[in-house]
Amino acid sequence: MAELGALRALPAKRVISSIADAAERWCAADYPPRVRATAAIEARLGYTTPVVEYALDRLFFNVTRDALNATIVSELGSIDALDGVFGTPPAWARGVDRVTIVASDTTIGVALPPAIFALCAKCDVVVKDRSDTLVAAFFGTLAEEHPAFATAARARAWTGGDDPSEDELFANADVVVAFGRDEALRAIRARCGAGTRFVPFGHRVSAGRLTRDDLALLEGATLAERIAQDVLLYDGEGCLSLHGLFVEADGDELARAARVLAAAFERVAVEFPGGARSPQRVAEIASYRNLAAFRAAGGRGAVFRAADATLVVDPPREEPPPLLPRVLPLIAVDGDDAVAKYCAAHRLPVQALGVAAPDARAVALAERIGAVRVAPFGTMQAPPLGGHHGGEPRIADFVRWIDCE
Amino acid sequence: MIRATPAADELDARIVAAIEAYALSDDAFLELARDLFAYQIAHNAPYAAFARAAGFDARRLPAAVEEIPAVPAAAFKEARLATFPPGETAVWFETSGTLRRAQGGLGSGGRYELPATQLYEAALLASFDRMMLADGARLRYLNLVPDSRENPHSSLGFMMRTVARERGDGADGWYLHGDALDVDGFVRDAARARDDGVAVCVATTAFALVALTDALAERGVSLALPEGSRVMETGGFKGRTRVVERAELYGAASERLGVPVEAVVAEYGMTELSSQYYDTFDSRARIEPRVKVAPPWLRPVVVDGEGRSLPRGVVGAIRHIDLANRGSVIAIETEDLGALVDIETAPGVTPAAGLVLLGREQGAELRGCSLDAESLLARRG
Repeated sequence: MAELGALRALPAKRVISSIADAAERWCAADYPPRVRATAAIEARLGYTTPVVEYALDRLFFNVTRDALNATIVSELGSIDALDGVFGTPPAWARGVDRVTIVASDTTIGVALPPAIFALCAKCDVVVKDRSDTLVAAFFGTLAEEHPAFATAARARAWTGGDDPSEDELFANADVVVAFGRDEALRAIRARCGAGTRFVPFGHRVSAGRLTRDDLALLEGATLAERIAQDVLLYDGEGCLSLHGLFVEADGDELARAARVLAAAFERVAVEFPGGARSPQRVAEIASYRNLAAFRAAGGRGAVFRAADATLVVDPPREEPPPLLPRVLPLIAVDGDDAVAKYCAAHRLPVQALGVAAPDARAVALAERIGAVRVAPFGTMQAPPLGGHHGGEPRIADFVRWIDCE
Repeated sequence: MIRATPAADELDARIVAAIEAYALSDDAFLELARDLFAYQIAHNAPYAAFARAAGFDARRLPAAVEEIPAVPAAAFKEARLATFPPGETAVWFETSGTLRRAQGGLGSGGRYELPATQLYEAALLASFDRMMLADGARLRYLNLVPDSRENPHSSLGFMMRTVARERGDGADGWYLHGDALDVDGFVRDAARARDDGVAVCVATTAFALVALTDALAERGVSLALPEGSRVMETGGFKGRTRVVERAELYGAASERLGVPVEAVVAEYGMTELSSQYYDTFDSRARIEPRVKVAPPWLRPVVVDGEGRSLPRGVVGAIRHIDLANRGSVIAIETEDLGALVDIETAPGVTPAAGLVLLGREQGAELRGCSLDAESLLARRG
């Protein structure tokens, strides 16, 4: 059994520096552990090399001293609060002892940000890693930066299913962070101790909205390409991917917007080519597209193909977004009320709202549809390190405050 | 050149002739398919519009079976796909569309309408006779499918009502009432069949068979159905939360009902079709893979995402070209996965195409952290 609290003796700033230095090494595309991880992720998920490279760039370029410091200060008030009693009123943001993180087998590196912040809080972290062993490899780099990480940051191979040896891991953890589907999260929660803080990140969807004013900007191509990136990156399979675009237009105007977007999809698909698809997904996409074509033949809506993507114009309101790879429905609305009504009717668990330019109206809409993030198009799948992913804090969940009155 | 559109009566006669002969050459199939397509685009406006968008009309008919535009099964929810006026509908069956659309939408199902039942009944009985009653047995039908008297719009219920009426011994039983399974009634009637010495056919959806075998296991009951009894399983697990592997299900059915595994036969059909596939006799000796065979007037085509026909052995989405669909649409596209395989025939004869079905779980990948359509449904409850 590894000794607990290996990072406690280090100042938080030293921990942060080590993490940032390790991340910097991972920014180099030819860093051998990254090269191996890239290949393993491609093999595991079937994404193309440019997509995996982009994901790893996004992951590690974000992990800088400045970004870590800024996030911690915004949530805890000070870096020094992690080392002992500090500030006014005096208090110590002491990291909890044990954090267990369950990575998702369907995504790239989602376990790393919570692991990094838990380590910043000097917690002992165990991550249930995936077959690409990305987390284990990064932890290896951390141990090279400082030997204390060798015991504080551990990755365990994912065995799948319920492993009885993991019961202790969940039952004894102060905090359990888990990514996955609802049923997996429910199962993990049931294995946690009564006092364990459980932080679930379930599967969600994201939506975008183009106002009438935005439509004029669409002709400029840049906005259209940003929207395309939000759909095509990760094949549109992330919780922050754009799954449905609400457009304040109808008829010819909506079809014109679709044509502009389709052209942008063609261009962006060159940078982010589609990954492998199972026969089942292929069949589902074809069926959805052909059904839209059937409707279009009858004068209802339209279908546009762009590279290996599909845009479906004006699908029926009774239908939820298809949630299929590289398929974007353009849903005609006459205002934000219609957007909120659609999301409510289909009980969409919305993560992010993409807009041309975030403003008060967009925030108001996000609040109505339950979104936890408003982002400009083109950045939907590139949240900042310090963002409240899933509406949760980054580090605050990993500390318990000790007030000194 | 525009071919003269054949009349419905003429088409029906040619289709019935193929059904009665239980044979149709490739050339004859294509000729009848082209005539049927021409008829349907002349009388079925939504299909004609769809076909026109695909580049086909009365002047340009499909040159090959694989070219015939196939409407997605879910299109039956979108439009009335029939070649006759609504007032001439004799029977209609409620369709669920495909799994995704049926579960995802807030609307209701569609309708598969028939102008008359003779062609439909002829097709289903001809296949059933050859694939389930090759020994000529007159069975007692114990049905774990919707009772057509309770649910007149169930195609499966209609099928088994027809079979029981035409091929049964007059003592058929019906045990599925809504979602409730009358296990007591089934056990009682199975015992009576044994006392009477009458072999039975248990016609059941896969899910009802799971419920029955679970219930029998809970009671510690193993029935010994009379020799010659058989099970016709159909329907899979669409829309159900519990999925049981075929090997487990057939093993349980064999154990609890007292029939050999090879007497458990899978039928594959859908409401939007007038014809059915059954397990080949050769493949019944094993549980996996079972190979399905179509009657001569039904052809499966396996396609890729662009609708291109795939060679034998390659997995893709299944399309059905059903000549018995005279009153609706000849070609139906599904999200079901499968691959065509050779079926042994007589020496010197080109092997016919069999169909191996793949379950959804065998073809799906899980990637990303986006909610999927089925999870969305589960959340909506």
